[in-house]
Amino acid sequence: MRRVLLISFLLSSFFLSAQDRLISGRVTSVSDPNGLPGVNVVVKGTSKGVITDLEGRFALEATSGSVLVFSFIGYKTQEVLISTQSTLALQLEEEPKELSEVVVVGYSSVERREITGSIASVKADKFREISLNGIDQALQGQAPGVQVVQSSGTPGGGISVRIRGNTSISASNRPLFIVDGVPVETGSLSLRDFGGQDDNALSLVNPNDIESIQILKDASAKAMYGSRGANGVVLIRTKKGNKALTRINIDVQRGIIDPVKKLKLLGSTELLQLQREAMTNAGHDPDKAGLTPGITDAVNTNWLDAIFRRGIMQQYQLSASGGDENTTYYLSGGYRDEEGIQLNNRFQRYSMSLNVDRKFSPKLTVGNNLTLAYSINHRVKGDNFLDGVYSGAIKSLPYNVPYDENGNIVGPSSPLYAAFPNFNPVGQALLPRFLASTVKVLGNLNATYKFNEDFSLRSQAGIDYNDVTEDQYESSQTAIGGYLSSVGGQGYGIFSTSKSVNFILNSVLSFKKKITDHDISALAGVEMIQRPTIYGTVTGRLFPSDDFTYITSAGIVDQGSSGRVKSGLLSGFAEGKYSYKDKYLFSLAMRADGSSRFGPGNRFGYFPAVSGAWRISEENFFKSEVIEDLKLKASVGFTGNERIGDFKFLGAWASVPYNGTTGVAPSTIANPNLKWETTRELNVGVDISLFNGRIQSTVEAYLNKTSDLLFNRPYASTTGFSSVLDNIGDIQNKGLEFGITSVNLDGAVKWTTEVNLSKNINKILFLADSVPIYAGYSAEGTSATNIVQQGQPLGTFIGLNFLGVDPATGNAIYEDRNKDGKISNDDQMIIGHALPKLTGGVTNRFVYMNFDLNVFFQFSVGNDVLNLTKASLVNSGSDLTSNQSVDALRRWQKPGDITDVPRYIEGNTFNHYHSNRLIEDGSYLRLKNLGVGYTLPSKWSDKVMLNRLRVYASATNILTFTKYSGADPEVSTLDGSTTAQGIDFFTLPQVKTVSIGLNATLK
Amino acid sequence: MKALYKTLLIFCFVLMFSSCQQTLEPKPVDLLTDDVVLNEAKDVPNVEIGLYNAFRDILPSTVIAGDFTSDMLIFNGTFSQYRELGTKNITSANASIATLWASIYNTVYIANFILERLPDVPGVKAAERDRVTAVARFLRGYAYFIALHTYGGVPQVLSTSIDENRNIPRATPDEINSLILSDYNAALGKLPDVASNPGYASNYAVRAALARFYLYNKDWVNAESLATQVISSNKYKLDSVYSIIVNKDFPGESIFEVAYTIIDDPGTDSNLGLNNLFVGRREIIPSNQVVLSLASTESGDRFSAIKFNSANLTGNDTGWEVAKYGTKDEDNNNVVVFRLGEQYLIRAEARAQQGNVTGAIEDVNVLRKRAKAPLLSSSTQNQMITTIEEERKFELAFEGHRWYDLVRTGRASQVMPLFTSNWKSAYELWPIPQREIQNNPALVGNQNPGY
Repeated sequence: MRRVLLISFLLSSFFLSAQDRLISGRVTSVSDPNGLPGVNVVVKGTSKGVITDLEGRFALEATSGSVLVFSFIGYKTQEVLISTQSTLALQLEEEPKELSEVVVVGYSSVERREITGSIASVKADKFREISLNGIDQALQGQAPGVQVVQSSGTPGGGISVRIRGNTSISASNRPLFIVDGVPVETGSLSLRDFGGQDDNALSLVNPNDIESIQILKDASAKAMYGSRGANGVVLIRTKKGNKALTRINIDVQRGIIDPVKKLKLLGSTELLQLQREAMTNAGHDPDKAGLTPGITDAVNTNWLDAIFRRGIMQQYQLSASGGDENTTYYLSGGYRDEEGIQLNNRFQRYSMSLNVDRKFSPKLTVGNNLTLAYSINHRVKGDNFLDGVYSGAIKSLPYNVPYDENGNIVGPSSPLYAAFPNFNPVGQALLPRFLASTVKVLGNLNATYKFNEDFSLRSQAGIDYNDVTEDQYESSQTAIGGYLSSVGGQGYGIFSTSKSVNFILNSVLSFKKKITDHDISALAGVEMIQRPTIYGTVTGRLFPSDDFTYITSAGIVDQGSSGRVKSGLLSGFAEGKYSYKDKYLFSLAMRADGSSRFGPGNRFGYFPAVSGAWRISEENFFKSEVIEDLKLKASVGFTGNERIGDFKFLGAWASVPYNGTTGVAPSTIANPNLKWETTRELNVGVDISLFNGRIQSTVEAYLNKTSDLLFNRPYASTTGFSSVLDNIGDIQNKGLEFGITSVNLDGAVKWTTEVNLSKNINKILFLADSVPIYAGYSAEGTSATNIVQQGQPLGTFIGLNFLGVDPATGNAIYEDRNKDGKISNDDQMIIGHALPKLTGGVTNRFVYMNFDLNVFFQFSVGNDVLNLTKASLVNSGSDLTSNQSVDALRRWQKPGDITDVPRYIEGNTFNHYHSNRLIEDGSYLRLKNLGVGYTLPSKWSDKVMLNRLRVYASATNILTFTKYSGADPEVSTLDGSTTAQGIDFFTLPQVKTVSIGLNATLK
Repeated sequence: MKALYKTLLIFCFVLMFSSCQQTLEPKPVDLLTDDVVLNEAKDVPNVEIGLYNAFRDILPSTVIAGDFTSDMLIFNGTFSQYRELGTKNITSANASIATLWASIYNTVYIANFILERLPDVPGVKAAERDRVTAVARFLRGYAYFIALHTYGGVPQVLSTSIDENRNIPRATPDEINSLILSDYNAALGKLPDVASNPGYASNYAVRAALARFYLYNKDWVNAESLATQVISSNKYKLDSVYSIIVNKDFPGESIFEVAYTIIDDPGTDSNLGLNNLFVGRREIIPSNQVVLSLASTESGDRFSAIKFNSANLTGNDTGWEVAKYGTKDEDNNNVVVFRLGEQYLIRAEARAQQGNVTGAIEDVNVLRKRAKAPLLSSSTQNQMITTIEEERKFELAFEGHRWYDLVRTGRASQVMPLFTSNWKSAYELWPIPQREIQNNPALVGNQNPGY
């Protein structure tokens, strides 16, 4: 039977080909009158087809009576019946772009008009020419509902991304990032704390290899991510080749980097006068303490100038893409080198990417994505480290010098060394070696098999492998390596390595069928994720000299550790979608996750979601020339958060040493009831498209409630423990999002505007025991800087109520709220909120002839910043070991002085109590990017054998409008913290980058 | 092709479910779960070491409490917890105060865990069971002794029940006092007379603890008798020179001290790293009065408890530092709990209080002789009691005694106001840590007066 079929097949094809003749032609479109390359031309019902060349030309053999199908993404598919003609000129009609754009959601893809959930897209061209370190940075100000805060100006440093607010207190609030189907590591990889500022695993993913980013925001969009979805999902697709001739692209960008603002500090003479006054006020004799005018202030070092420099940024990328009918590929290699504004701080990244898809048969397609990246991060200590560079530069007294008369760096062995807590910050920047080199292998192998028109199966195996090696040495002329004999004393070296791996394996069976007016699609899949981590570290001390900097030369190697942790997720999921006449859309989805992070009784969680949409514009009664598309949508569902660390449900004892022997001591209390945080999400929205797509807008509102919040519930120490991880509370996020894209002018000058606005209101609905939880930093006179309290949002600041300075005495006046006649932590109150009331971004783009101009503003309104730097810089004399801000010049000096800066008294802490004196409005409007570009006319680029040549200039962060008095309102120490965000504690300000670039496409 | 794919498909599913167990139930590599910690004889030594490890944390905090709440040390750093102690603006939110409290109850938890579980562990020899039980009761007793004299009547935790101990009221000082005595007495005689190394508990350590217990309770007869038992046992010898106490671990007179080795030195721990606080960061330095006092002729060699480094002489820093606690590379990291020198001083005080001034002079002179200080010849009883107070300052400087001594003798209200005008009588006890009151409903409204 089979043989007969085969013979008849061969015969028939022979028979057909006998009548074939050559058809040639050219495909154009309105915007590409000179030819549209890459269009698929297929003889209908066969696998025979070609792709148009760069000029839109094609040629293939077909018989009379056959039908040629012309298809291309973004264009309406067109069919042409072949009768007698042998040449063909065809103009393809563009589809309204947004509506037909294919959006990848979870394990399937849909066209935008079919979406029933909340999805924001960021295309690569929106951030291509902005100098970016990593993909998370690319999201800032680009999509409603997404709040991005870059924690500092450190290259390769931490970035906080929040989608629709903070859903958790102690589990991670970072969204789930998925690159080409593989969940990737986020946050810090380094094993060593650098004082608040972490490294960032996402800085290993080159933004130039990104094609598009989808941000999934509501339960129905995230349904396929179940227990990992509560914080939102960011789906990233890297570039792929298309079925066209090879294109080679060259990108070059170079620029300079400066801090956005430098703090103004006192010079020696001003500071000396202040210190003498503070000592006199305390009844001490400044002369005895060696504070002598003319001698002490003979040196006047500006430490900020000493540690800052102008950084150089450079970036190069070479890529090639192309393909034919059966194979497409994208290949790229890139290099980025960004010097920090602090001496010795630098981030370099080498990356390579190869994406290939191969159609082995009409039924089987196999593909891969592979990204290799290697980064070298020269780090410096920062923030609340006493031996940090920027913090040291702010605090160090101007009386000291960075270099001695011979030009050598002043270290502990020099008589000029000021010692604790004035470690020479220049030495702290230049002398240590803090090298973190990270290797990332991110890739997947996938196969799709089409059983028939309706059914297909896709299997994928992927890995995200991160390996960070830290090579550190602090010389005997540094604080740790030399001054602090209890740590290093004579050189201090650390070598550590850590591997974090995400391994994913899944298979998804998909079904898609259209029966007259009924569109049905469904999928079902299984997935396994394993996350092993293995690490090791070793410390060496007592080096013979600073010529020996590796542990092999250390006199004592007495500290080290190693370990491994593994967690896993085993899941099944299914989704069904139905639409009637493209008018009524309905979807139902469910994921079941089993996680190793929970006890046997609570191991499995179920996360259903349902959504629907009504495209009113498709109704017969709704015919409008103006409104092209109008869609109402709603969804409800559940998502979860399981990122709490491993083995937390176990009551566990860990190894402890005593007197040269080892035993065990309790580390955690068992909590077998520990379970997922579950977020119930409601979303309603309207999508509208006007004037043939010239104005597109989305308005959405959501109400999300997270229950069973995981938190270390504080226990009275009488239990023998300080806390237990427990599900102790509920939190709510509700908000409004608005996005609009408008083509304002579409003539000789093309002007488009994009605006997005997000408002999120966060509130803690319930906390077990109704006990407030203190968080953040410890603070003088109050319980802490932050509080987690029922009825309040996360990121709430507490402190005393500072009423001003008593003109008679110069002392601070605080409100005695409980009227007990004394100021204590019982008088503390809520003094600020770190979460903004409104955030957003506005992009205006102008194109005239070959020139284009891009103006991108980003803003945040209503967020308070706790300026803890000021606690040290205007410290009322509580200690005289640090420099003061110029604000201290306003201090109270004599009765009758009206001022907001209390009298300076040495050792006095009362005037220095933690109060709303340190809370400032952190609202800001920032010109995030200003870009101008010029694309050479093709007649010129043709002459130099280029398909396209473009030059541009780009400036980031060049203008900031804010009332904040510190260096930068956007920064946040304690990178990634939820309970203590918006704190500026010696945090390095953002940088402004001015760069020029060139982009060329070779013929 | 289809067949191939079917195979692949089956392979994928098999791969997934075969590793199901592995995916969902990975085993921790560095933790033991509750149920297997203490269920066979070989587990006993491990948990005993765990108890010593927890107990060890009490001692550095006791040094801070005893010497920094009093007039021995001043603040010279940046941490607000030490600024509060230094300037005598102590609040219940102070981290040092919470640290000592937590160390006490961590010790109590493991001791109670042993006392509850050990009787049911099969295969443990009776002598071993008795000895480990005695260790648990002795260390628990000492923990409560420190708790009582630091915080007053604290909650009396006698079980490992979390629910019970989360909501537990304060006991009276008398109840705690009798608990301490019954714990000490239960331990006495069940331990080795002298431990293999003074890092562990022994019968003589219990006697030394009892001597101090009776001294604090003004039971002079028993204090003298117990101190005498320790002194005349001849198990411990005063070292020839005082500086050995400053510079060496396990000096010949050590009865019990908590021991660190190079691998578990507290390093830069902001609460427990004494060397870091005294020398590294110089958060805390000797007060002027203690420098003068130790430099006096009567102090003699005990001046070696402090050192001068002119490089530190800037601003308010006097350049002096506490020398008793070294870096991990040095041989003086341990913190002493009981040593023979203190037993002489306990007996001297007990004798003086009972009118035996000659006996008291003899005891003090033993220490003076070693310190190459002028010997006492005669004294009135009152003079003698004052002399012993001074002598304790010389001999036991920075070992965590001064504040407890001034409070138990009722002298704090006379001595401390001379040192700082911020002193108030409330500071004769530390406050109950704020977080305890916040998290234990039974403590609400029961803060020590004045906080």
